[in-house]
Amino acid sequence: MFHVSFRYIFGIPPLILVLLPVASSDCDIEGQDGKEYESVLMISIDELLDSMKEIGSNCLNNESNFFKKHLCDDNKEGTFLYRAARKLKQFRKMNNSDDFDHHLSMVSQGTLKLLSCASKEENKSLKEQKKQNGLCFLKRLIQKIKTCWNKILRGTKEH
Amino acid sequence: MTILGTAFGMVFYLLQVVSGESGYAQNGDLEDAELDDYSFSCYSQLEVNGSHHSLTCAFDDPDINSTNLELEICGALLEINCLNFSKLQEVYYIKTKKFLLIGDSEICVKLGEKSITCKKMNIVKIVKPEAPFNVSVIYREGANDFVVTFNTSHLQKKYVKNLMHDVAYRQEKDENNWMHVNLSGTKLTLLQRKLQDDAMYEIKVRSIPYSSDYFEGFWSEWSPSYHFRTPETKRAEEMDPVLLTISISSFFSVALLVVLACVLWKRRIKPIVWPSLPDHKKTLEQLCKKPRKNLNVSFNPESFLDCQIHKVDGIQSRDEMEGFLQESFPPQPEESEKQRLGGGVQGPNWSPEHTVITPETFRGESPLECPAGNGSACDVTILPSPRSPESGKNGPHVYQGLLLSPGTTNNILPPPFPLQSGILTLTPVAQGQPILTSLGPSPEEAYVTMSSFYQNQ
Repeated sequence: MFHVSFRYIFGIPPLILVLLPVASSDCDIEGQDGKEYESVLMISIDELLDSMKEIGSNCLNNESNFFKKHLCDDNKEGTFLYRAARKLKQFRKMNNSDDFDHHLSMVSQGTLKLLSCASKEENKSLKEQKKQNGLCFLKRLIQKIKTCWNKILRGTKEH
Repeated sequence: MTILGTAFGMVFYLLQVVSGESGYAQNGDLEDAELDDYSFSCYSQLEVNGSHHSLTCAFDDPDINSTNLELEICGALLEINCLNFSKLQEVYYIKTKKFLLIGDSEICVKLGEKSITCKKMNIVKIVKPEAPFNVSVIYREGANDFVVTFNTSHLQKKYVKNLMHDVAYRQEKDENNWMHVNLSGTKLTLLQRKLQDDAMYEIKVRSIPYSSDYFEGFWSEWSPSYHFRTPETKRAEEMDPVLLTISISSFFSVALLVVLACVLWKRRIKPIVWPSLPDHKKTLEQLCKKPRKNLNVSFNPESFLDCQIHKVDGIQSRDEMEGFLQESFPPQPEESEKQRLGGGVQGPNWSPEHTVITPETFRGESPLECPAGNGSACDVTILPSPRSPESGKNGPHVYQGLLLSPGTTNNILPPPFPLQSGILTLTPVAQGQPILTSLGPSPEEAYVTMSSFYQNQ
């Protein structure tokens, strides 16, 4: 009897404390009804993908480390979008057209505007990821952002 | 004492604070007055110039002195924090691509560096669409309606695409009596019967973002008006004379047909539509052959009034005929025979008198039968004798040719004479050969009728 209560007092609470960050999402997502995404973000995403139609045929099939590390998992969509939007920002002002940069800004800043993340990425990680500048990666990144948004909205409609 | 001193100190402190507040109140009053005076309203127009948007603000009070006043927008902007408005007369505006279109922005009235008043706004909720254009009205004569069409620049835009349009029309003489129709498309049909004939109408269109959409806002400016005139109703009436002519001509033709039918009913139409039942006597008259032109075939005794009937001297003729008959025929004439009285054949032994077969004489003992077999018709020629007792006179001889139909060949005919009263001549002669017969018991009867045949039967 004494051993049982000792176990419950000193065993379970630490376990909860450890697992709590894993189970909970660290970013709140606004606009889950889809209005902001369908009326503003999706237009810019489609414009970017249309302008990058020719890109992809010469791209390697190797998955970037970024995508290996960051996935649009369940309850982690907000975190992924946060990191992807910040990554997207790095591709601005890289000899792109004004319209291209404009839409990049719309997607990245619009996504960040809808996210309320408690933990913020340090600049250190951003510096490391800045090295990856390929258009193939950019196109893949935009596609991943679109897929993750669709997953969020689908989940909202099901509920 | 200590407590008293503390109390007084508290009171003085409070007084100081209150006085300080009142000092601030002066500025507060000024601010309040400025807030009331510097209220403003704004509207946005997205993609008004390519991908550039515009934001237009103006003070609600037109009398305000806005010489040193500036407007600034902060928040919900791309890559920058704030933007300053440009000023054109009394209107402040911004034309930029840097609207994020997500989230709220804050617009402040600034006097120098100091913000006088601020207002929180969402750019996507104060959208004012561009005015429609190219309003046109086309009259469709066949459908008796008016097709209203117009164009809007938002059909090619990416953000504000779904609009609701308000079409307003009125009769030009009826001021302020506008009829409104809401539609989401750019085509409207107005029925002619709902408009006045031969009247001048004015029509115009405006738009507003759909309330259920992400973008909201205000009514656009009215489109330029279009003026049209409704047709007169005479065009509809022009069709009636044609129909009137057709109806009148048809009526007269029907009336003519009725008149003709009444006039020709008895003569032409009724015999065809309702033919009368044939009379057997008349039919027989028509069917009987007229062997000679001079012969009258009739069952009417009155038609033979002018005929001379010669009575036959019974004794002379009897002797002659007895001899003739005994040579040729058996006493019982059973076989079918033809009987004919021919006055046309006269032998040298024949007396000029001729026998006449009377109806009474037909009630004989031995029946007569017409020759059958060949199916030829019986020819019974009856020769009437002259009525005048004068003998020797050759009066006009009237022959009667009676043609019996093959159907009656098997019928049993009564003998023309009784054997006891006279000589009954029955010869199976071919058609056309006359037979002389003797008189019957009633010489006063002039002729024999077909009806007597039927009676004796």
